[in-house]
Amino acid sequence: MKSVSDIERTTLMTFLPGRIATMLGGKRWRSLAPLAVLAVLCALITIANPNFIELRNLAAVPLTLAMGLTFIILMGSIDLSVEGTLSVAAMVVVLLAANDSNGNDYGWWAVLAAIASGTVMGLISGLVQTMLRIPSFMATLGMWFIGLGLSVYMLGGSAIRLNDASIRDLALHRFLGLPLAVWVALGAFVFAAIIQYHTRLGRHILAIGGDEDVTKLSGVNVTRVRIAAFALAGFFFGIAGVLAAAQLGQSHAVIGDGRLFAAVTAVVVGGTALTGGEGGVVNTLIGVLIVTVLANGMILLGISPYIQQTVQGLMIIAAVALSLDRVRLKIVK
Amino acid sequence: MKDSKALTFSGSVSRRTLMVGAAAGAATLAMPKVLRAADKPTLVTSIRSLSNPYHAVWKTGAEAYAKWAGLEHVTLVSEGNSEKGIADIKAMLAKTNGNMVLNSDPNDTPDARPIVEACAKAGAYVVTQWNKPGDLHPKDFNPNYVSHIEFDGIASGKTIAEILFKAIGGKGGIVALGGLISTTAAIERKKGLDAALAANPDIKLLDFQVANWKSTEAFDLMGNLLTRFGDDIKGIWAANDDMGSGALEALRAENLAGKVPIVGVDGIKTAVDAVRSGEFACTVTSDPFWQGGMGLAIGYNAKIGKFDPAKEPPEHREFYGKAVLISHDNVEEYYKTNVESKPEMDWNDLWGRVTGAIRA
Repeated sequence: MKSVSDIERTTLMTFLPGRIATMLGGKRWRSLAPLAVLAVLCALITIANPNFIELRNLAAVPLTLAMGLTFIILMGSIDLSVEGTLSVAAMVVVLLAANDSNGNDYGWWAVLAAIASGTVMGLISGLVQTMLRIPSFMATLGMWFIGLGLSVYMLGGSAIRLNDASIRDLALHRFLGLPLAVWVALGAFVFAAIIQYHTRLGRHILAIGGDEDVTKLSGVNVTRVRIAAFALAGFFFGIAGVLAAAQLGQSHAVIGDGRLFAAVTAVVVGGTALTGGEGGVVNTLIGVLIVTVLANGMILLGISPYIQQTVQGLMIIAAVALSLDRVRLKIVK
Repeated sequence: MKDSKALTFSGSVSRRTLMVGAAAGAATLAMPKVLRAADKPTLVTSIRSLSNPYHAVWKTGAEAYAKWAGLEHVTLVSEGNSEKGIADIKAMLAKTNGNMVLNSDPNDTPDARPIVEACAKAGAYVVTQWNKPGDLHPKDFNPNYVSHIEFDGIASGKTIAEILFKAIGGKGGIVALGGLISTTAAIERKKGLDAALAANPDIKLLDFQVANWKSTEAFDLMGNLLTRFGDDIKGIWAANDDMGSGALEALRAENLAGKVPIVGVDGIKTAVDAVRSGEFACTVTSDPFWQGGMGLAIGYNAKIGKFDPAKEPPEHREFYGKAVLISHDNVEEYYKTNVESKPEMDWNDLWGRVTGAIRA
């Protein structure tokens, strides 16, 4: 189906007027819409408040989380365990590094353990989904509560301080004017981009989202790809957990509160379809920037906190409406 | 194919499940008998969650009192779900046959009524804290609804604001971080801030933002506020300590920790530590340890007939408790008695912290 329409378009593009028409009304323009929204937002806010250009506004934790989530949504699945996995990773790093609750001081091994625990959480989600044949929605909902319960139990309900100076430097130390956490998040983005565009795993994830049956018939081990994708997502959530703990200098069970919704919003606003098979990590980067710039912008513009959420909701609908060609959608659920 | 196979075998699995279920059922049937055998009432604490430091301390206080009084103690957690909170309490009432004392922090304001009505019907004694509808009064449910305790949010908001203003020398700009917009505590504490601002015209409120009680949101917000106002921010007023500590970490990332004083409410450990290191100017606490223990103590003493609720004056039935201010002057002493060791409380002093009847 798709290839036929592509051929039609190529014939159109052989002469210039057709090409312009395609540029304006076609897919290419649509895929640039999120970027345009971002540019307009930035311009508006910068005019109102020149301080905006300062670079400390980059959001490290949401970016890292959204990278992981992108792969899951690309498959047409969903991962609700974001907050649970994040709080487990934050709990592990705080309890194993120097803290004010026990005598541990494993330094950067704690960071590795935290990322590993995030990956394991994701791995379990993947196994539960594929082996027990439970939809990702329910499997990861379960993992969310398991993770949350685990960190409530381990932290005893209280907030525990992270005293390891070198880990805290992730948030406090700056390189080229940006906190190290932002560099880590950008690193996560590059890593995610490499996986998506230059590895077999990335291709297979996209293929599953496009049409799982066809992918299976083409000889792809769908089960293995799904498990790997969930583990990969857990890996990114683990990194985000470490960054969140480093930023706040402490960990409590609800450290992930509200992160799931923000991450899903960012992925979708960037133009990745919830049905899977369309979009990618570059879209997500733009989506995260739109959501962050919007939230920051409202504060910089001094919009009353009583109506901020309403404005945010309107902007999200507008961004999604612009970024996908709704007319061509056959079914909207 | 796989699915149809699973379907065929589903019968054999369900037999095993049946056995397990039967065993579990028998075990549950045996449980109420054990509980019923006790003559002494069961103490029951109903709180929102164990994942926040405030309610964790509340539970320690409740356990300390139960140990001191030599009674059974059960903690029910609603996890922010009103239905679950009420259902759990009703289940406990059924289990104990009404022979219990409940100290409840209702999840939401309307929850207090069904909780109180269920307790009165079963003959249990109940004390509520923080949340109750304005037209629900202990005197209408004698003797079962013993007392309702709150803390004056306006006074707390005002006290910390005044200490903040003093810390920055009586003039300059501040920013304020508010709690979840619709909650009583958030509204009252902001009123207190507004009152203090009205009395100090040299202090300018640069911006009021809402961080929903959370340190993570406060952290992100503060970064933006620093971008917008920069060095004009001389002090930070936070409606609770968790948001205050989030703001503190945002300051630390800009090398401003300790230079811009912060004030908060709740007295969580992070804030007490920050008062000691000079990064917080003060915090004020309703003392959840006291709330957890004394709420049960008041209910239990009414239950065993030490006093008759119907004969107590109105300021013992609906009252504001005394909040404890923790500032530079008393933080070391507070740390020694409350953080390093468990506080020693005189559980017989039921009305020692009454500051007056609740405003209508």
